[in-house]
Amino acid sequence: MVIDHAWRGLGPGLESLSGPGGAPLTRTVKLIVLPLVVRPALRPELAVDFLGPAEAAGLDGLIRRSGALLVATAQWFTLLKRTRRALGIVAGNPQDLYFQRCFELATEHGAPSDDVNATDRARAVVEDVADTADGRTVEALKGYLSDPARRARLDGELATAWESRLSGPDPGSDASAAADLAAVALDACGTPDRAGDAPEYAALVEAGHGCLFGRALWAHAGRVWGPGDLPAPLGLTAHHVPPRPQVGRGASTATLPAPLDRTLYERLFVVLQSSARREELPTVPELVDRETGRSCAPLGLHDESLRVAVVLGGRLAVGLDPLGTGEPMLGRTAAHRAVNSRWRREASVLRARRMTVSPRPDPDGGVLDALAHDLRTPWAAYVRRLWVRLHGRDVRDAPLEDLAAAWAVLDGVARSVMMDHRAKVRSALRALSMAPTRAAEPRSA
Amino acid sequence: MARTHVDVTRREDGTIRIDADPDPVAGSAAQDDEVAGDPDFTRAVLDVAGAVLTWPVLGAPGPPSAEVHDSGRAQQWLWALYGERVAAAVHDRTAAEPHGVRVAANPTDLAGSAARLALGHWAARWWPASYPDGIPALEQDVLGLELAALTHRCQQLFDDEGDQPDDCTAELIEEHRDALDPLIQWWRAAPQSADTARHLESVLRLIDHAADTIGLDGPVLRHLRSSLDQRRPAGVPVDPGSLFARHGGGYALAAGEQLVAGGRVIARGQGCNDWRRYPPGFVDAAEDAVSWTARALGARRRIEVEVVAHTAAPSAGAPLVAEVHVNGGGPNRVPLTRTDDRWTGRADLDPGLLGGTAPPRIEVGVLLPGFDPGPFEAGPFEPGSGSDPVPGADRVRVARDAIRALARRRLNAAAERLTYDPPPYDVSWGPFLAETVAAGPTGEDY
Repeated sequence: MVIDHAWRGLGPGLESLSGPGGAPLTRTVKLIVLPLVVRPALRPELAVDFLGPAEAAGLDGLIRRSGALLVATAQWFTLLKRTRRALGIVAGNPQDLYFQRCFELATEHGAPSDDVNATDRARAVVEDVADTADGRTVEALKGYLSDPARRARLDGELATAWESRLSGPDPGSDASAAADLAAVALDACGTPDRAGDAPEYAALVEAGHGCLFGRALWAHAGRVWGPGDLPAPLGLTAHHVPPRPQVGRGASTATLPAPLDRTLYERLFVVLQSSARREELPTVPELVDRETGRSCAPLGLHDESLRVAVVLGGRLAVGLDPLGTGEPMLGRTAAHRAVNSRWRREASVLRARRMTVSPRPDPDGGVLDALAHDLRTPWAAYVRRLWVRLHGRDVRDAPLEDLAAAWAVLDGVARSVMMDHRAKVRSALRALSMAPTRAAEPRSA
Repeated sequence: MARTHVDVTRREDGTIRIDADPDPVAGSAAQDDEVAGDPDFTRAVLDVAGAVLTWPVLGAPGPPSAEVHDSGRAQQWLWALYGERVAAAVHDRTAAEPHGVRVAANPTDLAGSAARLALGHWAARWWPASYPDGIPALEQDVLGLELAALTHRCQQLFDDEGDQPDDCTAELIEEHRDALDPLIQWWRAAPQSADTARHLESVLRLIDHAADTIGLDGPVLRHLRSSLDQRRPAGVPVDPGSLFARHGGGYALAAGEQLVAGGRVIARGQGCNDWRRYPPGFVDAAEDAVSWTARALGARRRIEVEVVAHTAAPSAGAPLVAEVHVNGGGPNRVPLTRTDDRWTGRADLDPGLLGGTAPPRIEVGVLLPGFDPGPFEAGPFEPGSGSDPVPGADRVRVARDAIRALARRRLNAAAERLTYDPPPYDVSWGPFLAETVAAGPTGEDY
């Protein structure tokens, strides 16, 4: 609110960074005002939701003193958008791509001049941002893996790594110890007061329970959670035990197999295809080399904190209840309650938006029944998405430091699964209502 | 407009509830996600950063109720939607203060725009289009573009955490861009109603600003930009209805032709047209859209079902079915196919069910398999409590009638093109462009 008032007080010249009502755009606050002007890390007194009068005055002054800089930033943003259009670039949200660069341009050069200098600078930035992928593309991967000699070498390395994966002592026959610790850690999630101070998470990482879990999966995918009626492999593999990864030479988003059944190519395809900040990735040859070892590591991940997140996520996933049936699964924790109440809100919104799926199986239900089936087995979609996210972190060497970081990922995956579900219902309903409005041709059954 | 009050309470699970309707109606309002017993189609909802907002569609304009599940994120907009007092009350509830509190909410501009956005999303799904009722369908692309404009206007409500499906300006513009060119034509033709002209221009400028800000491009968006840059020519008036391709509008209902000749009619009647059990755009919303006839053909017993189709209903790919209960027995499904303006189907019934001397009790509903959430179950209604004399099914029928009356009121208002300058809560209830198109020519513009 203070930011909003100070922003409006700066007067005209900020339109390109403002919403229709004159308030700053959400991303203006998040990407420019907070990190570059306010910098709460340097001013911890400003890093709270509610400011006292003195802090509010300080914040107000800070923003007002940056007025000229922000106006110059706004002008650069307008120029960069124009340049982008002229270059025919449409990928990405220009706010995400250019806001920080505009602020840097404004800091260094002030407002853009009318001459060719400004135009050149703008062009250089737009092209630079568009080029940051720098060869880290699916095409480059395809090219790299098309060489027969290289494929043979990688295949040999995969065979060796896979053979030696089981060296060391047998991890034991079930993962119930890990599951119990995971339950305690999950009980500390989703409650604002406790997240971050759970020693169980550190204990899980310390004892290598993620590694043990992955090795147990290799031995007998069907029984990792110990006895009981649980969907044990959780969709990590469609096989009795995960197969040896192959090199692979193609992939399509729609038909990707379960995570541990994916080829080297498919694993990296997902990373290269979905990556927003590809400049942080290793180069393609390095990516491939590391993935060879990673794909033969427990759970297909190198970092232990990420493997432990799979254990937590798996334990969370089996207790998810999107349909609100309330049937008791393996003991529910605070994390389950948080995610399941999110599902309840979602279900309530979907009913109000006339986007329902029948809670009970319906043989005549077609694609909608398939979506309802996904809700009855939510762990598959959940664990799949979770693994992809953790794999993306592993590729970038980004471990999860503590339980709070792990919970942010676990919760974020739950939200993504819900967004996916809603998008699928929307598109299924659209497909149904877009069917021809007059019978065109007879269809074979 | 006088300030209204809201109740701010903290629930056991840590979420914060803001109740806009603090009247202690049986004390039930704050008990669950939705007010017990209100059918789904009477709620307008909006997914925003850290909360879900809800307005009663049939109520008076006012601030929304909210279920705040992440108050940190919600603080970015709470003050702008409800005013500072409510934001502070939520903050206090989050911190430590466990007791609920009643605070005054301000009628802010953002509250007005958000209510309008939610109502637009509601209209896109539940508008009770009906040929026999004389309620025309809304042009979905026109409504979709106005929703894109409103979403952009409400940008403060959304953040980039990626869990708010309603933060979909880009998707709405992409999906409904077919209507952009006709809207530009309509605007250039200078509607004589100053309100409509202003309304159109505001929607188009918002779409242009949104597209520029989020980086959408393309021929029709460039055409929009250059049209807005030029001075608007005093064009030749056009009939907005003629600009938009109507879906098979204006069919005449064929007199109910006989599906089967012969046989003896045992009974006939009307089924239940429960809007919740199929998606929009399939079945006419009229109360009497579903009818059935039971016949005796020799020893066989047959039921025929006829359902009036929505004017835009698809004829293939959507296996609508009728669900038939005889004397309270388990459901029989009758597959329906689209023929002209109706869905029809028939099936043999167990002769034993229809054999008695008493007239059979036959209940017929229409639904889309896989979509149907099940028949409406009223909330915790207790017959003996005296608080609610209307049983569930009747209550839903009453609500459907109220929705039809609301649609008629809104179309009348759109046709009259009322000129007024209402406060924010009321402006949200003004007609959508799609309603102005649907209300048709009034003579004034042409």
